Amino acid sequence: MTELSSIHRRQALTWMAASASVLSWPLTVFAQSRPWADTLAAARGQTVYFNAWAGSDRTNAYLQWVASEVQTAFGVKLEHVKITDTADVVKRVRSEKNAGRQAREGTVDLVWINGENFAAMKADGLLLAPWAEQLPNFAKVDTVGKPTTRNDFSVATDGQESPWGMAQFTFFADSQRLPAPPQSMKELLALAKRQPGRITYPRLPDFTGTTFVKQALIDTVADPSVLTRPPVPAELERVTAPLWRFLDELHPHLWRSGRQFPQSPAAIRQMVADGELLLGMTFNPNEAANEIAARRLPASVKSWQFARGTIGNTHFVAIPYNARSPEGAQVVANFLLSARAQARKADITVWGDPTVLDLTRLSPQERAEFPVQALPGQVATPAPTLPEPHATWVDPVEKEWVRRYGR
Amino acid sequence: MSPHPGWVASLLLAVVLLPLLSVAWLALESLNNPTAWWALWTAPQTVSAVALTLWTGLASTTLAWWISGWLLAQGFIRHRLAGMTRVLPAMLATPHAALAIGLLFLVAPSGWVLRAISPWLTGFEFPPPWPTTQDPWGLGLIAALVLKEVPFLLWTAATQLHRDDVRRRWQAEFSLAETLGYAPDRAWWLVVWPQLAPRLWWPLMAVLAYGLTVVDMALVIGPASPPTLAVLAWQWLQDADLAANAQGAAAGGLLALLVLVTGLGWRTLMWASWRPLDGRRGRVPTRHTDDRTGRAGGVWAWRAILLIYGAIVLALAVGSVSGVWPFPAMLPEVWTLQAWITVWSSASTVTDTLLLAIGSTLLSLLWAVAWLELVPRRWDSALRPLLYLPLVLPGVLWVVGLYGLVLWLRWEGQWAGMLLAHTSLVLPYVLLALSPAYLGFDPRYRHLAESLGRSRWDFLWRIKWPLLRHALAASVAVGFAVSVAQFLPTLYVGAGRWNTVTTEAVTLAAGAQRSLTGAYAWLQFVLPVLGFALAAWVGRPRRFTVPST
Repeated sequence: MTELSSIHRRQALTWMAASASVLSWPLTVFAQSRPWADTLAAARGQTVYFNAWAGSDRTNAYLQWVASEVQTAFGVKLEHVKITDTADVVKRVRSEKNAGRQAREGTVDLVWINGENFAAMKADGLLLAPWAEQLPNFAKVDTVGKPTTRNDFSVATDGQESPWGMAQFTFFADSQRLPAPPQSMKELLALAKRQPGRITYPRLPDFTGTTFVKQALIDTVADPSVLTRPPVPAELERVTAPLWRFLDELHPHLWRSGRQFPQSPAAIRQMVADGELLLGMTFNPNEAANEIAARRLPASVKSWQFARGTIGNTHFVAIPYNARSPEGAQVVANFLLSARAQARKADITVWGDPTVLDLTRLSPQERAEFPVQALPGQVATPAPTLPEPHATWVDPVEKEWVRRYGR
Repeated sequence: MSPHPGWVASLLLAVVLLPLLSVAWLALESLNNPTAWWALWTAPQTVSAVALTLWTGLASTTLAWWISGWLLAQGFIRHRLAGMTRVLPAMLATPHAALAIGLLFLVAPSGWVLRAISPWLTGFEFPPPWPTTQDPWGLGLIAALVLKEVPFLLWTAATQLHRDDVRRRWQAEFSLAETLGYAPDRAWWLVVWPQLAPRLWWPLMAVLAYGLTVVDMALVIGPASPPTLAVLAWQWLQDADLAANAQGAAAGGLLALLVLVTGLGWRTLMWASWRPLDGRRGRVPTRHTDDRTGRAGGVWAWRAILLIYGAIVLALAVGSVSGVWPFPAMLPEVWTLQAWITVWSSASTVTDTLLLAIGSTLLSLLWAVAWLELVPRRWDSALRPLLYLPLVLPGVLWVVGLYGLVLWLRWEGQWAGMLLAHTSLVLPYVLLALSPAYLGFDPRYRHLAESLGRSRWDFLWRIKWPLLRHALAASVAVGFAVSVAQFLPTLYVGAGRWNTVTTEAVTLAAGAQRSLTGAYAWLQFVLPVLGFALAAWVGRPRRFTVPST
């Protein structure tokens, strides 16, 4: 049934794209109808400016590897543009559009994106017309088992972004100091009351901080189904009231009495390593494992997810409407989906980012490249993945959080 | 003075004034937005951010001013100024951000200071939950600003005191006051200081303006919720929402107003607190107390500042090679070169930093020399305030204008745009550093050269520039250091495509692991210091050796 509807959907998409290409600007035409060989030919010699969050040197190192691979294999020069907040890129492309920049006149060729940033770019027409599901390697993506690969925070991707990796909200702590980790927000609150000043989360709008608050929202909301739809302004206050009650109760027991919050999950990780904080949080289930491998966290650190599940999502790459090298960007996106690139990315010693591929669709040789054995710091018993609230929840929740606690 | 002031001067003027004025115009134009001002007025954080800005800016400036005055008094009375000023260039070259990051490494709950006294003194097995980083009162920011600004004020004072005529006169007046029975301290405060202080007015205003508008330092060590107004403005400028951007520009405008108002207020207070010689001579110290307390106080205070600078550099170096480092241990349990390998693998960061610094400094030097050499003096003095515009306007406001111009030129994210952005900020400093020596060059040399039939070029290449070698090299070092330390324009105009050691260090300081932050901050410190060392070597006095026969 799902298979069937997805086929219908894809056909509908192709039809829509084809009709759009007749009407709209010429770039759409070749983005849609040129065979892959033409894209490869056009990409050769292009420079792709990949705007990607650079808060982790593992990610940066992985992208350097990607750059050397696509250079040798496809003649595409990949430049990693290091950014701290993807919202900056949305803003940049938007100002470029306001300044009248046309196709092939932009500064961004590829952007690492998901959630509200994708929703904003899609809504404002800042993205290249559908291309992602025509990539040769897209066929291996696990769109059924990992539905978030086509559904980004309850917003349909419509082929305007290509899945790159999976994420699930995960906690980690030194098991010597915290032998029985909290299994729900309620237990976290109890722990904070027992050991005041040793727990915190990143200041919003950091995305890990936002996810912590969204996790609390899911755990406290009366009817979770309202979160799959855009919020109704009239009901927003009523629906979120339990969330704010929970945070009001939690904050006095947090680090610095909840009057101040660290700027990033990495800052929290450093404080966990120093022993200043009890537990850290991350969107990468393997982060603690690769920090142990890098000898920046002690080997006694363990990761876990709440027993009833934590928020999970997919992160993507997208191409702005005014990319100078859209073909090169597609070649890079396709390479990122290759079994080789995905397997390397999943390697703990490289990055440890879970794959978006369906391993059963790979050849045995390809499958063998993926790591199997568990390493110290990895999640022992994975918990269910809870879907993200609809992307439009982020903005009102963040605004209200800043109003209440950001002073 | 100049043979052909006309078109060359106009050309020189146009080259700099056109971009300068368009940037200023674009920046000020962005303020003409009542909605944004209203949004700024009603934003929940504005009032507390303004209060924090005034507190940190005024407190740090007052402290830096007072400490500098006191250190100068000690140095002047005990004839120790020369020794103190010897190490100043290295301290001046230390970028604000590196200093803030290093200070953080010292005073954080898991920092060296607490490690040194734990657990034997404090009993702490784990870092205490003390708010010593990004403290809500801005004390860390104030401390970092004071540490950075005291050497600057000392240096500007020293340039005044180094002038032979001035020093001799003040020394004579000081001795006279002493013979009238005034204690040395009172003689300094009543006779020398009132003459020196007005000459430090503009440097002081630079310190005040910097303290009120600093972004990179405040991001690292300043309060976070709420932050200072400059950081808030920067966050709004970075926002994806255009209305928030306009609000950020308005906040930049408000900052400019704050600088103006506090500057005028300071001036009024300075006039109001004027004291003439009043006959209260103070206690003349006996030789004994003078040696034991007075001298010791000044020397120790100065040594304490030197010690903190040394500890900061050491903390950055050790931090950059640290792996697992559990709390009370003084040294890391695991040492690793991982951070330096990462730095090495993105070597373009360092080369971009160097190329930008060298490019913008050389452009600025060429222009400044041409300007000082060719343009009539009265043009120069009339246009100076305009040329210093980038120093007066808050950084957050200046980058708004810069970005507007660069966008219009289609230079965003391009090398040309970066060069323009950096040069616009390096040039005023190079001019500032070069002018005193260049304008004070004895005109008789030229007359002599001309009377010997030497051409102008001959004179410049063989007499004037070699004699000014020290000043030229020093201004290059200043320009280089200014470019290396740039944070806002690099990030904003560079469209994120350009990373320098400063943007890396500041971005990482907000989060990532200690080692990489330490590595970049250490590089950020070392590059300008090397620049100054090189300048000192190039500008060293020539020694004539008599060949032994």
